[in-house]
Amino acid sequence: MSAATSAPGGVRTLPGWLGAATSADHKRVGLNMAAASLVFFLAGGVMALLMRAQLAQPHTGFVSEGTYDELFTMHGSTMIYLFVTPMALALAVYLVPLQIGAAQVAWPRLLLGGFWTWLSGGVVMQLGWLTEEGAGRAGWFSYVPLANDLNTPGVGQDLWTIGVIMAALGLFLVAACVLATIATRRAPGMSVLRMPVFTWTELVSVLMVIGAFPVLIVAMSLLYAERLGAQVYTGFSGAIDYQDLFWFFGHPVVYVMFFPFLGAAAEVIAVNARKRWFGYPAFVASMLAFAALSMSVWAHHMFTTGGVTNQYFAFTSTALILPAGMEYLGMLGTLIGGAIVLRSSMLFALGFFVQFLIGGTSGIFVASPVLDYHAEDSYIVVGHFHYTLFAGSVFGFFAGVYHWFPKVTGARLRESLGKVHFVLLAVGTNLTFMPMFFLGDYGMSRRIAEYPTHPSWGPLNLLESIGAGIIALAVAVFLVNVGLSLRRREPAGDDPWGGHTLEWATSSPPPPGNFPAALPPIRSYAPLLDLREQKRSALAGGGGT
Amino acid sequence: MRGGAIPLLVWAALLALLMAGNWVWTGDTIQVGTFAFAVLLVIGFALALVVRDRGAVRPGPPPRQARLEALPGVSLAPVGIALALAAILFGLAFGHFAIYFGGGLLAASLGRLALELRAAGRARRRYEDEHP
Repeated sequence: MSAATSAPGGVRTLPGWLGAATSADHKRVGLNMAAASLVFFLAGGVMALLMRAQLAQPHTGFVSEGTYDELFTMHGSTMIYLFVTPMALALAVYLVPLQIGAAQVAWPRLLLGGFWTWLSGGVVMQLGWLTEEGAGRAGWFSYVPLANDLNTPGVGQDLWTIGVIMAALGLFLVAACVLATIATRRAPGMSVLRMPVFTWTELVSVLMVIGAFPVLIVAMSLLYAERLGAQVYTGFSGAIDYQDLFWFFGHPVVYVMFFPFLGAAAEVIAVNARKRWFGYPAFVASMLAFAALSMSVWAHHMFTTGGVTNQYFAFTSTALILPAGMEYLGMLGTLIGGAIVLRSSMLFALGFFVQFLIGGTSGIFVASPVLDYHAEDSYIVVGHFHYTLFAGSVFGFFAGVYHWFPKVTGARLRESLGKVHFVLLAVGTNLTFMPMFFLGDYGMSRRIAEYPTHPSWGPLNLLESIGAGIIALAVAVFLVNVGLSLRRREPAGDDPWGGHTLEWATSSPPPPGNFPAALPPIRSYAPLLDLREQKRSALAGGGGT
Repeated sequence: MRGGAIPLLVWAALLALLMAGNWVWTGDTIQVGTFAFAVLLVIGFALALVVRDRGAVRPGPPPRQARLEALPGVSLAPVGIALALAAILFGLAFGHFAIYFGGGLLAASLGRLALELRAAGRARRRYEDEHP
């Protein structure tokens, strides 16, 4: 039985694209959000390729310095506001109601409105490309006084600011719906300590969105007022105040872009190791602590400003290693003794954990004020966050895609192409982002369109550009795989992997209302695994007598 | 609903602890203020859940319930409201014509939302009458 009962008469729909665009069904909204995010991902990827073409050699002159400023601003903004964060929430919108046995989200109209507000914000932000002065060009953080009307004039930067406000508002509304769904719509039997691992990671993510995104909306609204002539962020203290407000959002959002993909990788590892996730209660406790700590580390981005108390933020930033270690312990404990199946999803999940380790350990350096003075504004920082967000989160995302694609579409992705995709992406990712640590150590600053001829910088930059091309090839293989798998379908059935959680108890794709039949009894965070184990022990008992 | 507010309250307590640390260690008004804002938002959300159902703070699994509601299949109103908001904000930066267009669309979409909510209420009552 689902937590909510729908009124009779079937679900009303409209034909064609209008029906898809206005559908309030959480699965359709989640798919729309994921599809739009993916389009933004491709756009952000093209911007990255243009930047790498510019930086492949010294003095290429491929794009002007002004265009390069627009490219790095819009690449970062597109990836953070319009791809990774919304994709993390799109997974929640589609999967969380299914995992908790709900028929629908708590506030479907608000969810739909949130999606369209976010999408409109994304479009407004990108419209800056069509203006005379070009798109936003003050960085994805748009520090003041750089981002004020005097230093960055033009409508493009205004549209960027408005786009960020709308995108953040839309994502906040979506997160509120997910939070209300988890709080109010769990199926009978599903206590909070029986929620699946993925749902927990989404819960802490939406808690962070609720706490942090309104501050971004305030910061950006005040920035817009500043651009209109109001004296809001004046002098040194004004610049520091802006950074405080921005990074209060800016660091938690990194974890909003990480936790859901950690949850996806954890589900994939448990299912493909044919074991329960190891240490579930410790995992839940560490997720809550991880999320709270990650709300308290924001000013490590400001160590070198001289405007913050470095000791507090160094302490909290370094303390993150404890809950992060718990997640790795959970992963290792699940793998040890498991009957491991190396499907594409599992390869991506393992890739997520291995590569995020590089991102996480390089984070220890920038969590120390002493070392951060050396690393600040160098390519070390660029390498660090690309290892966490691309080598980490994007691998977790692809693990989730290969795992849940059969549930969403009823068809499997091709395993052979999936493995080619994984190998290309792993090679491309490490070729692109590993040299950044060396470049940073050799003194190359971030956000520069040109660099002098230097015995190390040129070859390392060329390697990075080749790596970026390989990443593009890997993404192309993935898109071919999706197209091919949807055209020549290999039917997946309802539960192709032997899933542990409730989404695998309904048809693929799930019908409106999600669960036409009664749900299995929920006695743990892995109810379908419970059921299988119960059947196995009954069979074993029967065989013995 | 049962237990739904507990993770929020636990998390708010952890945040409050870290906020207190920040207050003692840095004494920075902006930092403590933003921290407090976040804590209050999460507590506010949790309180709203408790007001709706006292069970939100009781541990344990949710009970069986047959809560009737009309699930919307499609809804034009939220799409219209979002696009209206986009037009108004876009108009601020680009041209006032978009603000007027957005204002009109917002009014129409709010009217449409009222109609949709009334229709949902009617559908629920009809079902309750037919299935007493």
